[in-house]
Amino acid sequence: MVSGAHMTESTPLLQVTDLSIRFAGVPGNLVDGVSLTLNAGETLCVVGESGCGKSLTALALMGLLPMPPARRMSGQAIFEGQDLFDMPLEALKDIRGNRMAMIFQEPMTSLNPAIKVGEQIAEAVRRHKGVNREQARARALEMLRRVRIPAPEKRLDEYPHQMSGGMRQRAMIAMALANDPALLIADEPTTALDVTVQAQVLDLMRTLQRETNAALIMITHDLGVVAEMADTVVVMYAGRIVEAGPVRKVFEDPQHPYTIGLMSSMPDLGPRGGRLVTIPGVVPPADAMPEGCRFAARCPFAGADCAAAPPLRDLGDRHRVACWRAPLEFGAPDLAAHPAAQGAAS
Amino acid sequence: MIGFLIRRLLIAIPTILLISVFVFALQKLLPGDPVLAMAGEERDPAVLEFLREKYHLNDPLHRQYLSWIGGAVQGDLGVSLRTQQPVLTLIGEKLPVTIQLAVMALIIALVIGVPTGVISAYRKGSLIDWGANLVALSGLSIPNFWLGIMLILLVSVKWGLLPASGYVPLSEDPLQSIRTMIMPAFVLGTGLAATLMRHTRSAMLGVLRSDYVRTARAKGLSERVVVIKHALRNALVPIVTVTTLLFGELLAGAVLTEQIFTIPGFGKLVVDAVFNRDYAVVQGIVLCTAVAFIAMNILADAIYRILNPRMRDEQ
Repeated sequence: MVSGAHMTESTPLLQVTDLSIRFAGVPGNLVDGVSLTLNAGETLCVVGESGCGKSLTALALMGLLPMPPARRMSGQAIFEGQDLFDMPLEALKDIRGNRMAMIFQEPMTSLNPAIKVGEQIAEAVRRHKGVNREQARARALEMLRRVRIPAPEKRLDEYPHQMSGGMRQRAMIAMALANDPALLIADEPTTALDVTVQAQVLDLMRTLQRETNAALIMITHDLGVVAEMADTVVVMYAGRIVEAGPVRKVFEDPQHPYTIGLMSSMPDLGPRGGRLVTIPGVVPPADAMPEGCRFAARCPFAGADCAAAPPLRDLGDRHRVACWRAPLEFGAPDLAAHPAAQGAAS
Repeated sequence: MIGFLIRRLLIAIPTILLISVFVFALQKLLPGDPVLAMAGEERDPAVLEFLREKYHLNDPLHRQYLSWIGGAVQGDLGVSLRTQQPVLTLIGEKLPVTIQLAVMALIIALVIGVPTGVISAYRKGSLIDWGANLVALSGLSIPNFWLGIMLILLVSVKWGLLPASGYVPLSEDPLQSIRTMIMPAFVLGTGLAATLMRHTRSAMLGVLRSDYVRTARAKGLSERVVVIKHALRNALVPIVTVTTLLFGELLAGAVLTEQIFTIPGFGKLVVDAVFNRDYAVVQGIVLCTAVAFIAMNILADAIYRILNPRMRDEQ
């Protein structure tokens, strides 16, 4: 790590504190007080269902939130010693695509249809490394080779529509890693791909991450991806972090009722035999967020105290939970026994 | 690309033939007798009959059509029933004048319309956007003849900067030719600039919201590169479409402006021919206009293929 040299071992690569995002015309925060810590080379998975604020968090870090209508209400994001939220746009542009890069969900629409793939990679290199066209092109070729695209010399001069979905996502990865970023943010990078291709792309990302020692923030709604990729995991619900910690800890001993419900609804992780558990109810709409715990309306354990928002408390071993009931005295509760779940199943 | 052009040209042939049939038939269906128009005060049946014979107007319709289209293929569009000049010569004299006017007007329209459309989309909702829209709306609302007359009054009569009327061929004296054309071209161009601005703006608004523009920003590229290289390129297809349509419109639709600036153009030829029931000239003009439209369409398709690589793989 070239620029990591001046930092001490204990300084995290990225430290996000109290990030809140609001949309014009919507009273509640869509991202509410999110804090994250990420060390160099580490993989952090952010899970949650659509609209929980995980993508907004990622876009905010890149400075790519659509503003307006989005507005950042509070927060700090110290990346390699600088606050991403408190620097001139020009300085942020020097960092993004360079020290920090992003891969998006839809490789078809995220690549420019009118520009050759090689050029789309090379222009990122030229922008940040001050090299000439030939050198940038050579780097683009090297990157296509590293993401295992067959016949890379030929692909360099192809357009995105001439490639398959998996190959396009590989090209996106090549583009993102072309300048050796310290941090890679991947927003559901495999969601739009075929299942077999998903595995290959995840495998590739893991290999490249080992080779480059880049830290990775992986946004996903797929707990299988989390299990495969993550060192630490952050579970988000309705704009807030409800549970976070080392992946083994969270998977083996989930503490938040939402995390427990999420895991029971996964075919591989849930109870064997019998029907898959669904979490009753729906996410509260953005314009009607409750004051207290945002999961309370769907929670089998909700009580009067849930009218106040539970803080994210550390249960030890960096395992943090935002629930008044944690730590749970008993094992994973049987969500299927909840009256609301029975009502939904019948 | 060569194969594509050959294919398009081959497809154009039946299209042109079909148009020629329509042109011929429509002309015959219109009320009014060209022989009466030609003969003027002369109403002697023998003279009228002589004229009918001379121009084969007594032949069956299909023979008339075949002899006309047969000549047209060989570059002979017949002679004007009124002036006896070959139609092709008439068109050859007037068309270049109007093409020069149209090209100059389009250049002015593009230079004004596209950049303002881009800026107005990029700064959507800002004062600049409002201003540009206001100016565009006025540009569309001000009648050409009024703007033309005002320009002549100010620039030519009051300030004496440019000639008020007339025409000098480009080949004779390029500078003077442009000087006489610039005012009518400006009058036509500003109206078109407004149309182009509106189309550019809406195309850019769509593209600026796209994922690949976000990707370009995520690479840290400057806004100039993001807007011009990544966004505008993808917004150009609708702009090219509108531009070619406008060009076609200009060929036939510049009559008023040509009249105000007394330019001996295509528009005046059309109007005169229609009023005089000069069949041969009208048919020739419509056929030429149709060919020009088809040519512009092929050109537009060729440009699409350059701009949009996805279209290159389509047959």
